[in-house]
Amino acid sequence: MSAIAYRGVSFAYPDAPGLALDGVDFDVAPGEVLLVIGSSGSGKSTLLRAANGLVPHSSGGRFTGEVVAFGRSTRSHHPRELADVVGFVAQDPEAQFVVDRVETDVAFVLENLGLPAPAMRRRVEETLDALGIAHLRHRSPATLSGGERQRAAIAGALAAAPSALVLDEPTSQLDPQGAEDVLAAVTRLNADLGTTVVLSEHRLERAAPLADRAVVMEAGRVGAPAAPAAIVAAYPGAPSVTRLGRLLGWRPPPLTVRDARRFAAAADLPPGPDPEASAPAAGEPLVSARGLEVELDGCDVLRGVSLDVARGEVVAVLGRNGAGKTTLLRALGRLLEPARGTITGAGTVAYVPQDPNALLFAPTVRRELTETLRLLHRSDADAVHRWLGALHLDDVAERHPRSLAGGERQRVAIAAVAVGGADVLLLDEPTRGMDAASRAALEHAVGQHARAGGAVMLATHDVELAARCATRAVVLGDGDVVAEGPARSVLAGSLFAPQVLRVAPPYLTVEEVETAMVER
Amino acid sequence: MGFDRDGSWHSIAWLGWAVAASATVQLAPSPVYVALIIAVAALVVEVHALDSPFARAFPTLITVAVVFAFLRVALTAATTHGSAGPVLFTTPDFTLPTILGGFTVGGPIGAPIVLRAAAEAFVIVGVMAVFGAFNATVSHYELVQATPRAFYEIGLVVIVALAFVPFTIGTIHSVREADRARTGGRVVRRGRLLRMLVPILESGMERAVGLAESMDARGFARGGPSPRDRLAGWCGLGSLLALGGGFVALVGGAETVAALLGVVGVGALVGAVTLASRGTRRLRYRPRQMTGADWGLIVVAALAPITIALLDLAGDSSLRWVAATPLAWPTFRVLPAFAIALLLAPLSSLWRRKSTPEVPLRRQNVKEAVAA
Repeated sequence: MSAIAYRGVSFAYPDAPGLALDGVDFDVAPGEVLLVIGSSGSGKSTLLRAANGLVPHSSGGRFTGEVVAFGRSTRSHHPRELADVVGFVAQDPEAQFVVDRVETDVAFVLENLGLPAPAMRRRVEETLDALGIAHLRHRSPATLSGGERQRAAIAGALAAAPSALVLDEPTSQLDPQGAEDVLAAVTRLNADLGTTVVLSEHRLERAAPLADRAVVMEAGRVGAPAAPAAIVAAYPGAPSVTRLGRLLGWRPPPLTVRDARRFAAAADLPPGPDPEASAPAAGEPLVSARGLEVELDGCDVLRGVSLDVARGEVVAVLGRNGAGKTTLLRALGRLLEPARGTITGAGTVAYVPQDPNALLFAPTVRRELTETLRLLHRSDADAVHRWLGALHLDDVAERHPRSLAGGERQRVAIAAVAVGGADVLLLDEPTRGMDAASRAALEHAVGQHARAGGAVMLATHDVELAARCATRAVVLGDGDVVAEGPARSVLAGSLFAPQVLRVAPPYLTVEEVETAMVER
Repeated sequence: MGFDRDGSWHSIAWLGWAVAASATVQLAPSPVYVALIIAVAALVVEVHALDSPFARAFPTLITVAVVFAFLRVALTAATTHGSAGPVLFTTPDFTLPTILGGFTVGGPIGAPIVLRAAAEAFVIVGVMAVFGAFNATVSHYELVQATPRAFYEIGLVVIVALAFVPFTIGTIHSVREADRARTGGRVVRRGRLLRMLVPILESGMERAVGLAESMDARGFARGGPSPRDRLAGWCGLGSLLALGGGFVALVGGAETVAALLGVVGVGALVGAVTLASRGTRRLRYRPRQMTGADWGLIVVAALAPITIALLDLAGDSSLRWVAATPLAWPTFRVLPAFAIALLLAPLSSLWRRKSTPEVPLRRQNVKEAVAA
């Protein structure tokens, strides 16, 4: 018997012209970890939400076919009647807490199921331990870090001891450490309790090695399930090591840095660029900070940061959560007053906040851009056209921003700020929740802006992004600049080096290897 | 215990404290005593605030109350005339057309009027401070769990709705910053309200939908209404009809019918609550019992308004202050102040806190946090 069976499922959201699910027919085997991959808007969330009947019971719309979860059809059962067999965790953990205390929130599902008190007590303790959050039991979810909050949200679904857990992009909003904690916890649940896991992910380098099988979604259709290595090898948004393997003809293409190293040892690569090469002479500085100190809520967040952003540069700001990345960007963007230090420079700056939802208010994507220009008393149809094109938003220009997927919204927010014509763009965690196509569009736009005489500063956890588009990297730690220099030399020493650098130093990206191969 | 953070009080005890404190504000509206009660509330928040968004919303709540107080003073001063006493200043006046009430706005602003309005507004700030302190210290979910089970669903809806207040305050901050970021740090005031309103409402909407789905996926309201629930529903409806009819009868002067319908209505209401409480299959996770200390807190806190009320009966003139001519400072007496100090009773758990076994556990948490 299969755990969750999709039988000829087609579904369209109310008022949407196209099908979100189009003839989906496959089985989730009991006890497996199934990875669902696909670009933004391909229907991953819809597929997962159909597993416990949130689609169509909560969403409305036209639904044909049948989904059977552990013998119960979602046609005749509501999500609440499936709570004991399918646990569901949505993408945004923040909106999932009913009770403002972790322990009581975990017990919420048990109270609803009507478990006897002693069983409830035991189940809560076990669940807290299974996810390693027992020490957070009395905390309010609002005060937890991203990774802790996501694990608490999973605990809220897991407490019912469901046979299957469905996780919609559980790590897309997290930093690498938080993402690793969450995935480790999920793997442990699968191994120890035999819980069937269905999860969707964009960042395949972490999730693919953990999965038993994977499926690709495209325009509402689901491909045949197969081993993750085979699926990912043919997937356009594959991790860097896999694409490197594809380029160099490694069979089978590796999924992890470990696999790739075995091939790399035998590979004959041309000698790469000089890792100690000094950076090209920087242009005129557009923004200069000297001895920047910022206090927030009585804590020193920045303790004397000095740096320049020059014309033509793309600067990546790296560092763990709470190292002061966002604060540095907000200070440079003139959104908060530094306690001490100066910010000078001839360039204009603009900051793009982490959460695009705080920014978007217009009825269409195009209006979102023209509104910015209107506020600045300018009209520049050319700039609107240029930024829509640069960030690949032409196709969605007349759509409502809120109807777009996360990565697309993020790009709209960037375009809406960038269209104002600032020289220096400050992007805060721009790749959060982005799929491969969105990331490629962003990288392209960032490079273009820098080459056109502007500059970009990115605060990011995404070292692959830094490797591909940064000319310089700055590492922050505890409010200080820990390392600074050309991206290659800074990333080379770091524990979170990009994959290609770890496999085939001194190369940073697959594209560099490709160019070197062609030249030889 | 162990369930709650050590040294904390039961939600019912906090409810008792809040009722006593707000009654005290009403009974002793002299600005001196209101100021004392606000200080007590602030101290209670400082010591007992939970790690919740409501606790962080306390300063915002006080700010909002003060803003409203100022508005009230300004409105009263502008629309009240013809009182004796010194004139503070004179503003240009104009009379509204009859259709809008026909009263005069502006003119000479008298000091007693401003002071009287300020004293009244200060009472509102006092009540808001008590309300804010209650919200900052109480666990709303525990409070809902302590009510009869029939009210569980409706109570949960209320606390979920309440949680949107601190959430919205957070959204307002980030939306305001995003609006400035859009124009490179420059503030464009024209049309800002609309630009901010849309993202705030849409974020709230998305969160509401997310929460509803999460509750559904976690089995909330599973199983649907039982026959007993349905019966309880009919009883509730019947009780409403009877009470409404009783009210109409009372207005119409038919006292006997009114009394009869009143009894029937109350009976049906009790029946509805009892039935619904029995009908709910839900069990509570680690329900917390009221301890002797919790009851003690309620008794001590209740002594504050009782003492004040007795002092009022005994003719203590310092409790109320009226800005009359000639102007006089509000007077301060020790006895009412002592009664208000009884509202500090929640702080007594500071002594209890030392002897509970959770202290070493906390230190361990700190060590873990440091290691991480």
